[in-house]
Amino acid sequence: MVKLKIYTKYEAGWSNADESFLCLDTGSWRTQRPVVDKEKCIYCGLCALYCPTQCMLDKGDHFVPNLDFCKGCGICAQECPRKAISMVAEGEFQE
Amino acid sequence: MKAKGKGEVKVITGNAAAAYGAMLCRPDVVASYPITPQTEVVEQLSRFHADGLLDAEMVEVEGENSAMNIVAAAAIAGGRVFTATSSWGLAFMYDAVLQASGFRAPVVMVNVNREMPGILAVSSGQQDMICTRDSGWIQIVVENCQEILDSVIMAYRLAEDFEIQLPVMVNYDGFYLSYLAEAVHIPDREDVDAFLAPLKEQPERTKLVPGEPLGCGTHGILEGFMELRYKHCAAMERAKKKFDEIDQQFGEFFGRSYGGQIEEYRMEDAEIVLLTSGSACGTAKAVVDRKREEGLKVGLVKLRMFRPFPREKLTQVLRGRRAIGVIDRSVCFGWNCGPIYMELRALTPEIGPVPLLSFIDGLANMDITVPHIERVIDTTWAAARGEPYQEVTWIPLEE
Repeated sequence: MVKLKIYTKYEAGWSNADESFLCLDTGSWRTQRPVVDKEKCIYCGLCALYCPTQCMLDKGDHFVPNLDFCKGCGICAQECPRKAISMVAEGEFQE
Repeated sequence: MKAKGKGEVKVITGNAAAAYGAMLCRPDVVASYPITPQTEVVEQLSRFHADGLLDAEMVEVEGENSAMNIVAAAAIAGGRVFTATSSWGLAFMYDAVLQASGFRAPVVMVNVNREMPGILAVSSGQQDMICTRDSGWIQIVVENCQEILDSVIMAYRLAEDFEIQLPVMVNYDGFYLSYLAEAVHIPDREDVDAFLAPLKEQPERTKLVPGEPLGCGTHGILEGFMELRYKHCAAMERAKKKFDEIDQQFGEFFGRSYGGQIEEYRMEDAEIVLLTSGSACGTAKAVVDRKREEGLKVGLVKLRMFRPFPREKLTQVLRGRRAIGVIDRSVCFGWNCGPIYMELRALTPEIGPVPLLSFIDGLANMDITVPHIERVIDTTWAAARGEPYQEVTWIPLEE
């Protein structure tokens, strides 16, 4: 019999935040990414509150998205009262 | 090991037998919603609780969906749980039924077989069980009141076994068994404790603990999802042998056993076989006896385990027979035959190309009578002799 790859020690769909939380690579789903204009940002935190994946990182005087998890939904850009966040197509970035 | 106490014999209904079985296993949480013909199970459990015989958290629910969600959650928190339902109730809890098996929650539930919605029939039929056959539950079907009580006890050993960790549904025919009063041996509580004791020696299963960052049934996609499905199927596979072992141990302990996955009746030199399940088996045994007296070499196989399907056992006992007739108390839409018959057909490569005949009988409280079963045996015998036969016969509709 072919040996199978085993990903979790559990019998059921258990997620344990201390050891083996099943992480999804949601960053790869993104077709556009939020770009924050530090000059416009007033550090109000609404983007972080609205972000469904809670991936806006607090940088002390402004916020930036954690691109490992940001799905590019654009809610932060929509909610920003100062229009400090713009959504830019992933194709614009060379990585 | 053997039971120490004598227990007591009482004349009780099938529903009461189910409630006694559950009570003796000391569940921590019981949540069930009354529905005909299961209501008496809930009443009896409430009475046990009021009389101080059942020290469980009794959750009064507004419906079956809540009942299953509660017991599934309590089971993954490490509790021993019990619930009971039937027909529409089983349909109403369907999403939670899937949750329970996906959680690998060792829920024990009795399902009192009754016809399903659409053609209102407050009457017996196994369609409810069939509608949940692919829900990932272990499904057991039993024949009489004693077997109900004993199977509930065995179900805990199976569900909570560390190698299994699956919910178990114990099915019995509504109306026929739910309200039928029979003499039932009720074991002593200490003996049931002793029979269930091996579960305590096993490794502890994963459970929810307050304050610990653990969640069950959360995201599992791609390979993670496939792995869990694979493990679920592997546990199902193990459940077959495990059920045989538990049944054998139960026999050594209490002096009663039922054959595990299947019961063979007068099968030694049988040339043709009748395969059926549930309460019809009692009548079928009497008819097989009568036919044997007439010199017909017929045997009965009682299917006790429907999920997982006992393919190895059935192959072993059915290979080499000349014809097999199957009585189903439900239908398989699309294949338009009986579901047990349809499952048996999948074993044709193993048992050989002999005539397999499907008989639909006993829907909506139509009695599966002695003449009906005689007709099944006669038809199957004629097919074995090479006479032409029709594949599916709806017995009560025939002129």
